[in-house]
Amino acid sequence: MSRFGAKKGNRAPGAEFTWDTDPGGVPDTAPTPLYPAYVVPFARKLSEKEQSEVNYYRHLRERFHEGPYYSVLDTSSSSAKKGSAARANFDAFHGMPSYSGRYQKKRRTLPKVANIGREYETRYFPRELWQTIMPNFRPNASIDGYHMQNAAIGIKRGFEDDEDEEDEAAKRRATGGDEDDGEGDVDEGELLEGDEEAEEEIVDDDFEDDEDDMGGDYNAEQYFDGGDDEFGDDGFGDGGGGGDEDTY
Amino acid sequence: MSQYAAELCALLIEDQFGELFARIFTTLQRYERLPLPRLKFYSRLTDRQLHHGLVAMIQHHLVYHFTSLEDGNTYYAANPQAAYYLVRSGKIIQLVESRLGEYAARVMETILYLGHAPITHLETLPDLRYLKSETTNGVVKDEEQEEQQVEEQEEEAQDFDQQAEEETNGTNGNHAEEVHQKPAPLHSTLKALASHGYILRVKDAHFQSPEDNYIEAHKAASNRSDIKLLKGKRLTEELLLKTEEILRERTDGDLSEAWMVNGMPRGVKRKFANGTSESASKWPQTDQNGANGNHADEDEENDWSEDEDGFDNIPMEPGLVLRVNYEKLDVALRNARFVEMAEHNALPATAEVYETLLRRIEYVTKRCRDTTEIPREGEEGEQFSLPIETYKIVNDVDPTLDLSSCMGPLHPASEPLNRRGKRPLENGVNGDHHDDEEDNADNEISRAYEINQHLQLLEQAPHNLASHVRLSDGIKWRVGFRGLARKLRHLELERLVEMRYGDVALRVLRVLHAKGKLDEKRLQEISLLPFKDLRQTLASMQTGGFVDLQEVPKDAQRQPSKTIFLWYFDPDRVCSSVLEDTYKAMSRTLQRIKFERNLRRDFLDKTERSDVKGNEEKWLSEGELEQLQRWRDMEAILLGVVSRLDDMVAVFRDF
Repeated sequence: MSRFGAKKGNRAPGAEFTWDTDPGGVPDTAPTPLYPAYVVPFARKLSEKEQSEVNYYRHLRERFHEGPYYSVLDTSSSSAKKGSAARANFDAFHGMPSYSGRYQKKRRTLPKVANIGREYETRYFPRELWQTIMPNFRPNASIDGYHMQNAAIGIKRGFEDDEDEEDEAAKRRATGGDEDDGEGDVDEGELLEGDEEAEEEIVDDDFEDDEDDMGGDYNAEQYFDGGDDEFGDDGFGDGGGGGDEDTY
Repeated sequence: MSQYAAELCALLIEDQFGELFARIFTTLQRYERLPLPRLKFYSRLTDRQLHHGLVAMIQHHLVYHFTSLEDGNTYYAANPQAAYYLVRSGKIIQLVESRLGEYAARVMETILYLGHAPITHLETLPDLRYLKSETTNGVVKDEEQEEQQVEEQEEEAQDFDQQAEEETNGTNGNHAEEVHQKPAPLHSTLKALASHGYILRVKDAHFQSPEDNYIEAHKAASNRSDIKLLKGKRLTEELLLKTEEILRERTDGDLSEAWMVNGMPRGVKRKFANGTSESASKWPQTDQNGANGNHADEDEENDWSEDEDGFDNIPMEPGLVLRVNYEKLDVALRNARFVEMAEHNALPATAEVYETLLRRIEYVTKRCRDTTEIPREGEEGEQFSLPIETYKIVNDVDPTLDLSSCMGPLHPASEPLNRRGKRPLENGVNGDHHDDEEDNADNEISRAYEINQHLQLLEQAPHNLASHVRLSDGIKWRVGFRGLARKLRHLELERLVEMRYGDVALRVLRVLHAKGKLDEKRLQEISLLPFKDLRQTLASMQTGGFVDLQEVPKDAQRQPSKTIFLWYFDPDRVCSSVLEDTYKAMSRTLQRIKFERNLRRDFLDKTERSDVKGNEEKWLSEGELEQLQRWRDMEAILLGVVSRLDDMVAVFRDF
C-alpha cells in the first residue's frame, strides 16, 4: 500500500497530482480494483443447423403467442375496474387508448379455452374444470360419469338450439312458474357468471376485433341474459367501449 | 427440483405462454401439489383465471392433476419435465425435419402447438392440408374454405387417390392452379412419425404425476387376488414386479411397433434417393407428370418408399389422441450426438456407417435409460443395445457411399476376386463393380467386410463407440450406451476444465480421475508438473468446485503438519453442480433476452402491430428494418446459447 508518492522515495512530493500522466492510466492512489480485468468470452457464430433450430423455436413460440392461450397478468388500462390494482398501475402516458392503438397487439388476460375450434378430450381433464371447457355443462345435472356423455353430446348443438331453449326459459319465467326451483338457481348462477364474464372481457381493451375474435364465445356466454343485447354494447359501443364503463 | 431449474422452467413458460401460466406454475412448484382452493389462495388469482389457465396448462401437459378417490379432491402439481422440454422444441422439429422432411416437421410443430390432439382434429386443420401453405391471408382463406368443403367430400377418397392425383396433376386443368397446394399425406406422415416413435398415444396416466401413477399401480397390484395369497419376502418381490408391470401398461402409449414394416419404420428417407441415382429415377418421373417442376422438390421432401404404399392408404384410428414422445426423441438426439463424436474422430464415411447402425438401434430403443436418475459413477453396469446384423447395415447404407477408398486393401477377400482371372487387372481399382450383375454377391460380401472394418475402427479406444458380438451366423454390432453416456459426461467436464483453467488443469484432472485420491507429492510425480503450477491449478480448481481435498489426520489433535491431504475428483458431484450452473446460465440468458426486449419495447411493439406485422418492408423505415434485423440476430444468438446449454443439460441429465 503506497499511500503517497513520497513514501516511495524517488519521486517528488505531489508528483502523483501532475497533469501530464498518461491518459487512462490509474493514479497510484487509486483504490485497488475490486474485480480484476478478465476476458469476456464471445459466443461462436451459430451454425446453420443451430440457426434453423432457433428459427423453429421462434416460429413455435410465435404460434403460441398468437394462439388462444397466451395471456398476461395485467394489461392495466383506463378501462380497468375502479379501485382495482390494475387501475392503480395505469400508465397515464402510454396507456390511454388512442386511435393508433387499434393496431396495437392485444394481450389477453385470460386464456381463451372454449369455442376456439379446438376439441378437448374431456376425459383427460379433472371434473371441476369441465365447466370451463364446455360452458354448457351443468355440474349438478348428474353425478355419475356415464351421464356425462350425454352432456358432452349436448354441447355439439348449434346456437339455434340454445336460442330455442332461451325462449323456453323466458316463457317459463313469463308464466311465473316457480315450480322448478333447482333450475332457477342454475339460471341465476349462469347470469352472475355472465356478468362476471362481461367485466373480465372488458379488461383486454379490444376495439373492433372483439366480435371477430369472440363472436362465438359471446353468444354462448350471454346465454341467459336476454335483455342486455338491446343496449348493443357489443355492436357500435365499441369505439368507446373501454371508456363507457367509467361513466357508470 | 432445484432453485435454478424451477426458475428456468417458470421463465420458459412465461416466454412461451405468458405470465398467467408462469404464475400458476411457480405457485405449484413452490407449494408442491395443491387443491384448487389452496392454489387460489397462494397464487392470488381469480377463479376464472385459474380455471382457464389450468385447463390450458393441462392441455399442454404442464400441470399434472390427480383426483383422489378418498376425499374426492383434485390436486394439481407442476410438471417440470414438460416445462423444460419447451426449450428443446426447436431441436425436435429440426430433427424431424432432417429425418422426415418439411411436412412432417410441420405436423410435429402442430402437435407441439396443440399439446395433445386427436387425429380427427388434425385432419380439420387448414395448414396441414397442403404441402405448401405459405399463404394464410384473409383472401386466400376464403378460397381455402371453399376448397376444404370440396376436400371434405373427397376426404375418404383423398388418401387413396393421393398417389394417383400426383400423376394426373399435370394433365388435369383444374388442379394445375393449386399445384402449390397439393393435398398433404397427413396420415402417412403421422404413421411415419408414430413408427419412429416420435409421437405416442395419450393415456390417462400421462396426466398424473409419476408418483401418483406409482401409488395407484401399487394399490392395484396389492389388490390382486394372487398377490394377496403371498407372504413375506416373496410378497414384496412379486408386488414390485406387478406394480412395474401395471405401471408400464398404463403409461406406455407406444405406437411404433404397430406401424413398423419389417422392423423398419415407414417413411424412412432412403439414402440412395438423395444420392446420385436421383438423376436417374426422379427426373423421368417428373417429365411424365407434365410441366410442373414443383413435384421434384416435393417428392424429395416426402420420400415414402414405394413398397409401403399399400399400408399407407389405411388411415389411422381417428379417435387416437397424440402427443410428442420426448423420451424417444432424447434417444434420437443422443444418437445424433454420438454421430457427431464419430465425425470428430473418424472419416466421414465411417461416421455415416455409424449413423446407419445407430439409426437401426434407435428403432428398437424406447428410452435412454431405465432408471429415472443417472446412477452413480462406478455403480452403473453396462447395458448394450440390441445387436444389429451387418447385412442390415449393408442394406441401409447408401450404396454410392465410397467405403473402400479410405481403407487399406482388403487382403483376405482378394482371393475370391482373383479367381476370376484378369478382372482385377482390367478394372484397375475396385471401382466399377456395379454394372456387373454377376459381381453382386461378391460385392455384397466385400461391402459387408468393409462395413465391418469401418465399425471396427470405431470400436477402438478411446471412445469405443461400438462393439461387436461374434455369433454363429456372423458378426453383430451393438452399442454400449451407458458407457458412452458416461464418456460424454466426462468429455464435457474435461472441455469445461480446459476452457476455464487451461491444459495443465486438464492433465491434473485426468490423473486424478485415473488414479483416485492422491497426495500432493504423488500427484506431482505422476503429472510431472512443478509444485508451483500444480498448487495454483489445484487451488483454482478447488475454488471452482472441480476437485476437492480430503484430510486424513494421523493423530487426534488434527494438526496440519500431521495430516495427510488427499486431492480427489468426484465426477458425480461435479456433474450435478455443473448441471445446476447450466440451469442458472440458461435462466440468466433467458432473463437477458427479456431485459433486452424490454429495452426495445416500444420499437418491438411497433413491429408487432397487426398492420405492420407481415409487411415490415412496407411500413418500416430502412433504419428500423436494420434495427429489427439486428434484434433478431441478437435474439438468435442468445437463444442459440440457450440451446447449446441445453445440449449440456441433455448430456448431464438425460442421456
